[in-house]
Amino acid sequence: MNAPIPSTERRRAPTDWKGADMQKRIAARYSSERRFRMIGLTAILMSAGFLAFLLISMLHEGASGFTRTELAVRVDFPKAPIVIDPATLRGEGADAVLASVNWQALTDQAATGALGQDGVWIAPGAWLVMRDAVKADPSLLQKSVTLSLPASDDLDIAAKSDGSPEAEAAYARLDKAGIATRAVNWDFLTSSDATDPTQVGIWGAFKGSLLTMAVTLLLSFPVGVLAALYLEEYAPRNRWTDMIEVSINNLAAVPSIIFGLLGLAVFLNVMHLPRSAALVGGMTLALMTMPVIVIAGRNAIKAVPPSIRDAALGIGASPIQVVFHHVLPLALPGIMTGTIIGMARALGETAPLLMIGMRAFIASPPGGITDPATVLPVQIFLWSDEVSKGFVEKTSAAIIVLLLFLLSMNSIAIYLRNKFERRW
Amino acid sequence: MPQSSTPKMSARNVNVFYGEKQAIQNVSIDVDTDNVTAFIGPSGCGKSTFLRTLNRMNDTVASARVEGEITLDGENIYSSGMDVVQLRARVGMVFQKPNPFPKSIYDNIAYGPRIHGLASAKADLDVIVESSLRRAGLWDEVKDRLKDSGTALSGGQQQRLCIGRAIAVEPEVILMDEPCSALDPIATAKIEELIHELRGRYAIVIVTHNMQQAARVSQRTAFFHLGTLVEYGSTSEIFTNPREDRTKDYITGRYG
Repeated sequence: MNAPIPSTERRRAPTDWKGADMQKRIAARYSSERRFRMIGLTAILMSAGFLAFLLISMLHEGASGFTRTELAVRVDFPKAPIVIDPATLRGEGADAVLASVNWQALTDQAATGALGQDGVWIAPGAWLVMRDAVKADPSLLQKSVTLSLPASDDLDIAAKSDGSPEAEAAYARLDKAGIATRAVNWDFLTSSDATDPTQVGIWGAFKGSLLTMAVTLLLSFPVGVLAALYLEEYAPRNRWTDMIEVSINNLAAVPSIIFGLLGLAVFLNVMHLPRSAALVGGMTLALMTMPVIVIAGRNAIKAVPPSIRDAALGIGASPIQVVFHHVLPLALPGIMTGTIIGMARALGETAPLLMIGMRAFIASPPGGITDPATVLPVQIFLWSDEVSKGFVEKTSAAIIVLLLFLLSMNSIAIYLRNKFERRW
Repeated sequence: MPQSSTPKMSARNVNVFYGEKQAIQNVSIDVDTDNVTAFIGPSGCGKSTFLRTLNRMNDTVASARVEGEITLDGENIYSSGMDVVQLRARVGMVFQKPNPFPKSIYDNIAYGPRIHGLASAKADLDVIVESSLRRAGLWDEVKDRLKDSGTALSGGQQQRLCIGRAIAVEPEVILMDEPCSALDPIATAKIEELIHELRGRYAIVIVTHNMQQAARVSQRTAFFHLGTLVEYGSTSEIFTNPREDRTKDYITGRYG
């Protein structure tokens, strides 16, 4: 069966592997290789640079948000115009007794007494510190003590960057006298939104985010995984399932604000669920997260080798046993990856939550999923809109908290994924 | 030719379709416990398809349709009264590519007995695991590392683990779909030896591409070609004195 080689074939000259043409081609190949590597490296360096810029500028701006300026004020309680028997503060009615005192006037008086003219630089909310100190230790009422009271917003800004000339002068004076000090602002981590930037805290928004994420996860994970399992393992392949698949893919790409409108129309207007609540926020975000989980889940389930299904069916496992004993455990790491991506997106979502009223001014942390709440990104948005200069660092500090939240959430998910990962 | 009195499984006029395409035409065959039955034939002749109809594994293919009658101990396995899950426990299967679960060796064997409720106490399960691994000829190699993953074993060991897994649910029939095609000659020899030992206890049907293997392990051979059963008889007769020209051409290497 030896067909004659065509004459043109026979006339081909032997390839000159060492010739000049060949050398030039090799050089061109090498340089294109080098060029491609350089472009790739530049892309990586650029994205790393942007990331570093973001992190550094956030830390630079936000780190001071976790501290505050405090003024040491000598308070002579026995001489102060309060008539409380310390014994009454140890019993049941302590809060009522405390409420009967005009702490604001007392604080102003003490500040003026101790600092003279500079007493005006005490924060409007400083009386809270004084009240809490007395509440914690009623014996203070019989003593003269030095309390560290937070300084006002203007002085705080003067201390950290550049404030008004008067504030700068006052800070220089107080700093020299050793009265002004810098301390960690624990209240920022434990309190909620306020109108005065020295009093604001992130805990309310943090807890709101936590509750909202819990609702989102509890709704979207089981529903998404079960939908993915049904579509992959049970549903027949026909026009209907094709249509469902296309719809799910489209849902994953719908802008989030539209989910917000849907939440407003359905959960608030039709179902009359509480406005501004973590429950409704979580439900709205669950709608947004579910398609992501379904798509990732289907891909993960598809990637489970069919031989494992055969093996289980071959020794008489029922379809549901095949799914829950073999397919789901093997697909779980992939499903979790999709869930992380979906939840991370939900955590950073602002627009749909504005639609359902989670942008309200919430001065106390939510007690449950039906209480009015706000979430970290919305809080950041609200603070970034404030006029007072003191909110700038608070905004950055809140961003740091949000990023840490995101990072810890992802770390837990990656840990779980690696734990469940099986190799074969 | 040893012929047992009652066949364990018998097929009568079986046709299999994948959608419009007919994969098996009018096959009738009996399988018994005393003999190992080998299905041979060129690629695409339908021998694997037919094997998979014997424990209804073809049910997982949406477009597959089976006509005719296949009985296990006289009971039609395609009747509505037959529970597929139980059928597959009674008619076990070993696949072409070793497919242990990504679980421990112990759990691989114990999985079947567990889901079928064959053992309640841990001690009972231990006995089943040991006896199944012994019968699969794997016990001595793995007895000290039952907690290791089944996927960490070599290919031949994995395949014996899969045979042990099938044995653990005490099936009546074991179907083997080219069990040695992914194994080296030494591992193949071990599996063949194992098949010899299991003969008589289980009805064994083996699909193979390797004619020498069919000659070595089986007592009865069925030759399939283009979806039809060309010839079925004792192995020695098929290989030495085939009745059909097509069989003769195939076993002498003219095609396939």
